[in-house]
Amino acid sequence: MAAFEYRQAQEIRDCFQRHGVRYLFLGKSGAILLGFPDTTQDADVFVEKTPENCAALVLALRELGFALSEAQAAEVERGKDFIQLKNGPFDLDLVLAPDGIERFSDAWRRRVEVEGFPVCHIDDIIASKAATNRQKDRESLPRLRSFREYWMRQRKS
Amino acid sequence: MDAHELKESRVGYRAVEETAIPPEWLAEFEAAARRPLETRFRYAFIHTHKPVMDDVPFRAFDTTADYRRWCEENLPDWLGYGRV
Repeated sequence: MAAFEYRQAQEIRDCFQRHGVRYLFLGKSGAILLGFPDTTQDADVFVEKTPENCAALVLALRELGFALSEAQAAEVERGKDFIQLKNGPFDLDLVLAPDGIERFSDAWRRRVEVEGFPVCHIDDIIASKAATNRQKDRESLPRLRSFREYWMRQRKS
Repeated sequence: MDAHELKESRVGYRAVEETAIPPEWLAEFEAAARRPLETRFRYAFIHTHKPVMDDVPFRAFDTTADYRRWCEENLPDWLGYGRV
């Protein structure tokens, strides 16, 4: 599996839009979209957990080339909280109940659009990483918080 | 709990503390802001094989807590997925 590419992010954006999937880029991939210079391996998307949205998500994932069996598609449609996909053209984590963010609607209201990509606000990305409290997140948080300061200043100016 | 976590626990989701940005990080943020998004992607996304994690094509967890627990019980510590 090669590294995730900009072209593939565009494919997610365009395909999810065609199918009406409500989602937000989250995690470090979201921060990178906002301008955070760092490295990561996977793209994480926060998907709204409704039956209609999860059904649309299955159609979109299959169109993108993810080889979902009927049983796997049923798990996506049921809206399981965390799904790891490594059966498609790129790796993708589907997060339906991220730590640190109570409701999708709240994150959606605070979202930022970057070249048509819907992205969680930096505060939600930080809150999610802080709540997860993993070693790898704890190491990246000081730099992410500094980036937040920079990013907020840029938005004000 | 450090000062940032304490602040976050008081204000909910927001990380609002004003902090000074280390000069070397500021230089990196400014350099990144000058790059097109496509270039930022090329610099940001890497791929290495993560043992166990990458060994099956599909996993689904009923709850995020189940996923966190699975990571702690199954992944090597050095991957950093364990909770602090």
